[in-house]
Amino acid sequence: MKLLAVSINHHSAPVELREALYLGIEDIKNLATEAKGKLFSEGLVLCTCNRTEFYGIPVDKNISYFDVQNFVIEKKSTHKINPEHFQSFMSREAVKHLFRVITGIDSLLIGDNQIFKQVKDSFLVSEEMGFSGFLMKRIFDAATIVGKRSITETEIGEGAVTVSYAAVQLIEKILSTLNKKSALVIGAGETGEIAAKHLQDRGIGTLAITNRTIEKAEKLAQSLKSKIIPFSNFKEHLHEYDIVISATSAPDLILTKEDVKKSMKKRNSASLVLMDIAIPRDMDPETKNLDYVFYHDIDSLNIIVEQNLSKRKSEIPKVEKIIEEELDNFFNWYNSLQAAPTIKNLRDYFEAVRAEEVGKNKNKFSTDDQEKLEIVTKRIINKILHHPTIELRKSAESGDNSPESATRLGILRELFGIDNHKPDEEKK
Amino acid sequence: MINFIDFLNILLPFFYVVTFGIYSYDFMKGKKELANSKRLFLFITLLFHATYLITRTIYFGHPPITNVFEIFTVLAFAVSFSYFVLELVTDIRGTGPFIIIISILFQVVSSLEIEHIITVKEVLKSNLLGVHVFSALVGYSGITISAVYGFLYLMLYKEIKLNQFGLIFDRLPSLEILEKLSFSSAIIGFVLLTIAIIIGIIWLPQAFPDFSYADPKLIGTSIVWILYGIGILSKLLGKWRGKKVVILSIVGFIIAILSTMLTNFLSLSFHSFY
Repeated sequence: MKLLAVSINHHSAPVELREALYLGIEDIKNLATEAKGKLFSEGLVLCTCNRTEFYGIPVDKNISYFDVQNFVIEKKSTHKINPEHFQSFMSREAVKHLFRVITGIDSLLIGDNQIFKQVKDSFLVSEEMGFSGFLMKRIFDAATIVGKRSITETEIGEGAVTVSYAAVQLIEKILSTLNKKSALVIGAGETGEIAAKHLQDRGIGTLAITNRTIEKAEKLAQSLKSKIIPFSNFKEHLHEYDIVISATSAPDLILTKEDVKKSMKKRNSASLVLMDIAIPRDMDPETKNLDYVFYHDIDSLNIIVEQNLSKRKSEIPKVEKIIEEELDNFFNWYNSLQAAPTIKNLRDYFEAVRAEEVGKNKNKFSTDDQEKLEIVTKRIINKILHHPTIELRKSAESGDNSPESATRLGILRELFGIDNHKPDEEKK
Repeated sequence: MINFIDFLNILLPFFYVVTFGIYSYDFMKGKKELANSKRLFLFITLLFHATYLITRTIYFGHPPITNVFEIFTVLAFAVSFSYFVLELVTDIRGTGPFIIIISILFQVVSSLEIEHIITVKEVLKSNLLGVHVFSALVGYSGITISAVYGFLYLMLYKEIKLNQFGLIFDRLPSLEILEKLSFSSAIIGFVLLTIAIIIGIIWLPQAFPDFSYADPKLIGTSIVWILYGIGILSKLLGKWRGKKVVILSIVGFIIAILSTMLTNFLSLSFHSFY
């Protein structure tokens, strides 16, 4: 199979270039329309934060991945792209690359669990644009199997690998029933926003935001439908919260040990989780010495992140084994799309159906008629298969193994369920 | 039948050890595929244990509660059975090895030392004794489980405080859940121990001529009861929480075990029957 794959990703290109090549949904649609017919008979355009990739079955034998690279360079001529920024794959390696991408082992964040959905969405766009044909659909189906198997059979996507998610994981090891708990996020910047979103995703009971600039707090609170506490007096409300996440850019401490001590008194020593994900730190690290105060800063959260990342890395060989297995399955299927074996399989299939029905019903005929029944039914089958056999032989004689021929054979096999039906001798 | 009873008696420690092995392996490796098979294995172990207790009761004509080693095997069963129910109800699976090991200890001692006693003292044939011993045993298994969860709470508390995110951190449920499990088990243990004590106070002076309020087991149980009472009340009133309550639960358990061992092995009490 001549599948071509061209990729610009975090392995091959700097972040500025990846940013410049980021494609919105309309860009993808336009590029797919242009590439269809010019480069590929069918294909897929995939774009995420860290990669822009083109997959496709070339329209003719002369198209190589250099043509695809040139196509991209032409489209983004304003940026200094050169061939070294590309990773290019062909045939089995191209399918393998897609499998590696969908499992997340090729991602910047190993085991990234968003990539599966991103590949799926890209395929849907491709389908919508009429850019995805029979072969791409089969490749996508195989990739989906690989993605699902890697999720269920390995731990490649387990554990938090970002600081804000690690904070939530740690909170869940201290408190349960988050829907009955309250959280205060100090700082409405990007980090605070991510942490607040994670908490909301986990169903936190009450969420409040405080920020030195009230407008920013209001904006975030509005999008998260949470409460706002004025920054000037948030310490007076500290005891009302079970979780406090701080992510401000304040140069000095905004929460001292004394503040926390006072709040713990009011809380009657109910557990308090303090997550200081700011640099420099917002809370006095000494608070960790107070009973039932669980203080953690970015360093301790990084320990969790590093541990989870190394666990994920140790799962890569298992994922690679799944990839190899599914590559073999896929190419076994693809290699069966040859004319000669298909003719034989098709005839075997029809003969099996004929023999089964004759066998079931021959007792309804006299001994003389049974012989005639055999002859007549065989003749019917031969007549039905005559034309398809001639057409398939033409393919076989011309040695034509083009994508069109493979598609035709694939559809034929699918139509008659030949791959599901194995003759008795094969079963043995 | 006696051979069958003897066979099960030898087999039970092995069953508990294998079950413990599967739970521990699952705890270490965190394999999803063992999640259901370990539960099935615990169920089979409990089934064999129940068969053992029933056949023993039928053959010897009395429930196996007349001496300390019979009580140990019932306790081993009660602890694992309570855990099994707890696992089914809460679906918290990471704590099994810590509970099952208690059953192993009780069952191994019982299997090694248990004897065939057909004739029992007249006093031990009372129905009230059955209720007294049953409630005491379930009460003890309650405080045992409470102590185990208390111990796990302390371990996880320490790991989180010291930023050590190892196996304990990965596999155990949250601190809040461990505290709840420890507290609920303590309440069940306390209520049943109260029933056992009330029946004991009413019935024992009539049944035993040498009954004494200075009996070490009575004193031990009373201390345990008072400790748990203080702990539960303080927690309910919101005065104590977390570490304090679980430490009290662990101390209560240790005193309960010590008082049982002292009274039964030193034969200082009318409470010793063996």
